[in-house]
Amino acid sequence: MFDTSTADTDLPSGKTAQKRRDPLALIVRFQSLIGLVVVVIGGIIFSPRRHGQILFIAPDNIANIVRAVSETGIIAIGMTFVIITAGIDLSVGALLGLASVVTATMMINGGVGLVPTILAVLLAGVVFGAVQGSISTRFRLEPFIVTLAGLQAARGLALVVSGNEYINISYGDGPGLAPAVFAILGERLFNNVVPVATIVFIAFAAIATVVLNTTRFGRYVFAVGGNERAARLSGVPVSAVKITVYAITGFAAALAGIVHAGQFNFGSANDGAGYELTAIAAVVIGGTSLFGGAGSMIGTVAGTIMLGALANVLQLNNITPALQLLATAAIIILAAVLQSLVRRREGLVR
Amino acid sequence: MTSPLLTMNGVVKRFGGVHALRGVDFELRAGEIHALLGENGAGKSTLMNILSGVHAPDEGTVTIDGAPVHFANPREAQAAGIATIFQELDLVPGLDVAANLFLGRELVNPGGFLDVASMREEARTRLTAIELDIDVERPVGELSIGHRQVVAIVKALSYASRVLIMDEPTAALTVSEVDRLFTIMRKLSATGVGIVYISHRLEEVPKVADRVTVMRDGRVAGTTAPDAPQAELVSLLVGRPLEELYPKRTRAAGRRLLHLKDARFHPVRASAGWQVPQKISLDVHEGEIVGLAGVMGAGRTELLSALYGTGLAGRWAGTVEVDDRPVRLESIRAARRAGVAFVTDDRRGSGLMLRTAVGRNLIMSVLRRISPRGFMSMAREAAAVARSFGQFDIRPRNAAIPVGALSGGNQQKVVLAKEILGNPRLLLLDEPTRGVDVGAKAEIYARLRDLASQGLGILVASSEMPELIGLCDRIVVLREGCNVAEFKSGVDEHTVLAAATGKAS
Repeated sequence: MFDTSTADTDLPSGKTAQKRRDPLALIVRFQSLIGLVVVVIGGIIFSPRRHGQILFIAPDNIANIVRAVSETGIIAIGMTFVIITAGIDLSVGALLGLASVVTATMMINGGVGLVPTILAVLLAGVVFGAVQGSISTRFRLEPFIVTLAGLQAARGLALVVSGNEYINISYGDGPGLAPAVFAILGERLFNNVVPVATIVFIAFAAIATVVLNTTRFGRYVFAVGGNERAARLSGVPVSAVKITVYAITGFAAALAGIVHAGQFNFGSANDGAGYELTAIAAVVIGGTSLFGGAGSMIGTVAGTIMLGALANVLQLNNITPALQLLATAAIIILAAVLQSLVRRREGLVR
Repeated sequence: MTSPLLTMNGVVKRFGGVHALRGVDFELRAGEIHALLGENGAGKSTLMNILSGVHAPDEGTVTIDGAPVHFANPREAQAAGIATIFQELDLVPGLDVAANLFLGRELVNPGGFLDVASMREEARTRLTAIELDIDVERPVGELSIGHRQVVAIVKALSYASRVLIMDEPTAALTVSEVDRLFTIMRKLSATGVGIVYISHRLEEVPKVADRVTVMRDGRVAGTTAPDAPQAELVSLLVGRPLEELYPKRTRAAGRRLLHLKDARFHPVRASAGWQVPQKISLDVHEGEIVGLAGVMGAGRTELLSALYGTGLAGRWAGTVEVDDRPVRLESIRAARRAGVAFVTDDRRGSGLMLRTAVGRNLIMSVLRRISPRGFMSMAREAAAVARSFGQFDIRPRNAAIPVGALSGGNQQKVVLAKEILGNPRLLLLDEPTRGVDVGAKAEIYARLRDLASQGLGILVASSEMPELIGLCDRIVVLREGCNVAEFKSGVDEHTVLAAATGKAS
């Protein structure tokens, strides 16, 4: 910790002291965007070509990238709220699987209509998350352990509901069939260019950005993560805020599960495994601090797409999945190191 | 005259655009207690961090016994014999005293297992050497702050024994603990240890120091004998004659705000070392500053906490009224609705979001007001921040930098300004100037008096007797959770102290 007031007292009083921006801090602020640009440029350079066309930036390939990341992206958006409160939600991947199974089961085996099914699944996701948040706040348990239990519970419920079978979704009119419109989640709009799953992801991200940055609730989220005790003393309803952010991740996981069912035309209890970790990686690469109190939605979106683009360019070059994992590991460490360096530069840690 | 043990010549340190040290010369002799005074931002901490190897100087030299030294990290400074005791003591609360003393250098028996018996024996020997009788098998977290301080000193000296740097060691100590600490310091200096003693408390300097160096704006403003008149030290510190530290009262007390009559707090579960209010009768009126005095453990913090629904859970019995209406102050929500605000004594732990911008911190307690229909109003937010900056001279005048980068005095202004934004009617203040320099203290006192003159009632707990006597209109003395005496302003320190300890003066 160093004293900054010395230099500032030399300034004419009343004039705002313009602190010189640390270039490193600027890099970290936009690290995921910069990373995304780097990956895209690298992708263009190293992309295989066919008939003179750069495959990496072919419209089909770009559509593939943004479609592939849409489910983890939706989850990462929810996760951003939780991580800004200095929490974590490990249950989201399993919850995605549960949601996909319930969606398929309700429509195919239960004969429930599309709209009631979607509403019920989303509501169930909210309740599941809220229950986890309530347990964590009521009994003062670490969210890590509560959501780890939640992960097991969601996976177990999904296996019970599905009987450990794929539940295939058939389309058509009448009971036991999903309306054809549900299949739109696996299609592309606007001249067959923009995947619908991506539209869901981006729309959810847009709403989340507005909520985080312009509402009182958004500020509460930052306050709880910034200093929980201080927030409580300042009259912030800390427990309610925490329960709400877990309800949001529950909602996000349910939404991702519905998208999953729509894209692949089945519900599967074991799908979504490990999505929670990909989402956490995207959030951290996006500049959100695991210590809480700081973060951004734009960063998360960029981090998500960057991971997807990286995986894609490696795949195009036939690089093994093992190396993809190692590359992801390196990027996570790089992002975390950059953030740590900035905290030290700002004199906030010794 | 002994030769210098440690010297610094022309030391310069910059952090980005901030010029923290602008050419500092400093010297410490063996066996000397050298007080280092300075307002926050004067460069004391930076100087100390250079000596203890946390930072490297940009220019200038540091020598020990005449030989230049360059510390790459704190470990090297320790190896050269420099021990540092930071304000946040680096002790592990859950480990016992002996384990803390040997942390990182545990004794092991031939089998590779911890030799607990030898460590405890050695710990006992070392503590007895400075005549401190504490159980080395007790977890450090159960010790008083004063005892923890001594454990930290003994631990530091077991690493390095030539130079001891102490950063505000008395900030959290009671009067008797301070005296004991000074005795220990003198004993250590008699063995040849050079001690750099950093403090805000001018009155302590003559009691313990052999020499005084005053820093201001990254330079040495002067070195004098410790018995120099206070006025001289103060003018060296602030670079100008200090106006009256405590502002005069400007209005008579108004309506009664807070009324406690035989109030007793029943906690759901008692907690060791937490003196719950037993039997409290006191009033606070509009426009009045009432002080809470008492020795450590008398229940000052506990009373304020219980009046704001924080600390231990429980319920009040007896009369607890705000505006002559009974209120249930057991929850933060109810207290705030009744117009009560609370400023914690632990601004870093429970007052501020250190990594968050000053502006965002300021508006934390008024988020509801500046977000009609749930959406933040940028205009209202800017207005609230501007109001705080207008009221308190927070430096630097920039709402966008993280509050953790501010000096202690300015952080304290932010904590205060944050609660004032909520337009409270009754303000509960716990140690409002802990770790705050003289200049910022004067300003905080002036603002509190301004606020009182506008009708705010203030109940302030402090362990600094001159502060209570100078600032308050009335002083209520607590002992073992009960109010035992009450004095008007102008009372002398000994009278209050006698009431607080229960001994006739």
